[in-house]
Amino acid sequence: MKGKNGMGALLPCLILVCLSWATPGYPAGKSPYKIGVNLELTGPWAEVAKTVKRAMVIEVERINAEGGIAGHPLELIIEDNGFDLGRVAANITKFAKNKEIILVVGPFEDNLQATSRAIAEREEITNIIICPSNPMLRALKQRWSFNIAHNDIIVSQRLVELCSARGYRKVLVFHAAHPLAQSLAKYFKRFGEEKGIRAIISKETHKPTDIDMTPQLIKLKPIIEREKVDAFYASTAGPPGPIICKNLRALGINIPILGTHAFGFGFIIELGGEAMEGVEFAAGKTVVPYQLDEDDPVRPIVIGLDKRMKAHYGVGVDQVAGHAYDAALLIIDALKRCQGNPTRDRFRDALENTKGLKASMGIYNYAPADHDGLTKSDLVFIRIEGGKFKRIKFPGYE
Amino acid sequence: MTPWAHIPQLAFSGITMGAVYALVGLGFVTIARASQIINFAQGEFVMLGGMITFFLLKGVGLSYPLAALLAVLLVVIIGFLVHIMVVYPLRKASVPILLIATLGVSIFISNTTALVFGTLPKALPAFWGNQPLQIRGIFVTPQSLFVLGATFLLLISLYLLSHRTVTGKAMEASSTDPLGADLSGISRNLMVFLAFGVSAGMGAIAGIFITPIFYTSYHAGTLVGLKGFIAAVLGGWGKNSGAILGGLVLGIVESLSVAFIPSGYKDAVAFVILLLILNFRPKGILGSPFIDSRRW
Repeated sequence: MKGKNGMGALLPCLILVCLSWATPGYPAGKSPYKIGVNLELTGPWAEVAKTVKRAMVIEVERINAEGGIAGHPLELIIEDNGFDLGRVAANITKFAKNKEIILVVGPFEDNLQATSRAIAEREEITNIIICPSNPMLRALKQRWSFNIAHNDIIVSQRLVELCSARGYRKVLVFHAAHPLAQSLAKYFKRFGEEKGIRAIISKETHKPTDIDMTPQLIKLKPIIEREKVDAFYASTAGPPGPIICKNLRALGINIPILGTHAFGFGFIIELGGEAMEGVEFAAGKTVVPYQLDEDDPVRPIVIGLDKRMKAHYGVGVDQVAGHAYDAALLIIDALKRCQGNPTRDRFRDALENTKGLKASMGIYNYAPADHDGLTKSDLVFIRIEGGKFKRIKFPGYE
Repeated sequence: MTPWAHIPQLAFSGITMGAVYALVGLGFVTIARASQIINFAQGEFVMLGGMITFFLLKGVGLSYPLAALLAVLLVVIIGFLVHIMVVYPLRKASVPILLIATLGVSIFISNTTALVFGTLPKALPAFWGNQPLQIRGIFVTPQSLFVLGATFLLLISLYLLSHRTVTGKAMEASSTDPLGADLSGISRNLMVFLAFGVSAGMGAIAGIFITPIFYTSYHAGTLVGLKGFIAAVLGGWGKNSGAILGGLVLGIVESLSVAFIPSGYKDAVAFVILLLILNFRPKGILGSPFIDSRRW
């Protein structure tokens, strides 16, 4: 009986191992360039991580079909980290010990990046992280880690522009109790003051796991009424965003709501329902692929990606798909500039010298002092209307 | 602005949360009353109620009432299955072993849900009306009134079940006096089986009522279950009225605490209250039929 049970557990494991080993066949020829991918394929962000994987695979398959980079195909070695810090560390260490692997992509989530970056620094291997750079880590000026997403500084600058365009003079900021949200609030206040916008940062905060913000908002309501606040800025990510919108409306507070770029996901609108109507924020260009300007240099890239995603997987592009696709584009671009012999050192230097690379989110420029790549003009203003994302434009603030 | 000005609105928000905790706590109590088992998969029944309704509503395209009804039925069947496949085979094992088994069930259900329905959080639309009503300066959403109503109706139906029907009395007897129940010809296994069905159904109803207010995801059951369990222990482990009272006390204190201390400590408040109560009145506010008060 005992042995039988053991077999029962072993079989799925064996199948999993077989699946993870299955790699597409390559034309016989030059050795593949190997890329380690360290993703949360199980756990709460499994669906999001799956999108990351899909968008990277789509581009790698295309480049391989075209014959790879100077004849060398690309190979993604994908490992699941289960949203677990220990496994994140184990995966990147394992990748680093494999001398054939040139760089590591992932993890996706913010709270995993500190560990991954530290190991990348120690092992001297490039680590491309999908989420925005963490403000506490950015100060460390790590050589080997690069971030793909728009960082807190440019998002705050863009949101201040949105406030100026709308004529908001006083904004109440209700932020989550984690570094990225706090830093978004802090920069919003700083850039706001330069433009004459007063940001009141709430003493009340919320946790990413909170399912009801009503008590906090009840305390903020008198401040909103007394100070005649023009808008409410929910500096948060994930489910708390829609929860805040719902709770605000349920308390009869009807001032405009501003959000972060993390509001640019379809599931956020579904969670918030009617309460999300009219919420405005600045987010990446892939949120509104068909509403970009005709002369936008990245428009064809975004629409092309959207069409390919739909043809392959039946779902269009979103922000995460855009980031992952851009990671693939950046890697391919840097590999091409490695003079046919991409060592880890050479790849890092090539990636750091990326200049003017057109990708779906915008135009990337890395520099020794800037491992974030994007600028504030790579963010567009978005308003939620009729359950859809609608791009809004203001003269002078495009 | 003094903290006192917020009290009425905070209290109402606390009552809504309290009703939610109470609904979940009632499920725990129903099983405990029949078998003394602490069913840690109770939160999972709540999650499944919301999740299956969402799937039937959005995926299959059924009407809201039909989807909700079908979801309750499905969760009741799952509750029965949990009993047949996990609890019944372990009927001769001691209570702590059963407790661990239900923890296993909870992990199994939550991960299976992640595989079947995906990991992104999901929300149901409100039953009726999104616009808050204003009553004497307090804003009230229709959905929270529905939750209060559901709690009240469930309490009454549980009261009727356990005091007015033979089955209900037999369920209670099989827990309070197993030997006596056996001698009276009550099939204890059947009673525990029924209790799992009733409690799964109640969990599902709770899930359907509260998902429009919050949201649900495959791992939402753990936290909701924990709070419901605290509510049940706080009020008096094993009493329906205890679960309701415990839930309301927990919800209101949690909510009111925000008026006086920073909101970051909100979650800690629940556990501090639980520790205090367990220290000074271990059988809960209303007393527990399972804990002999003379021992304390």
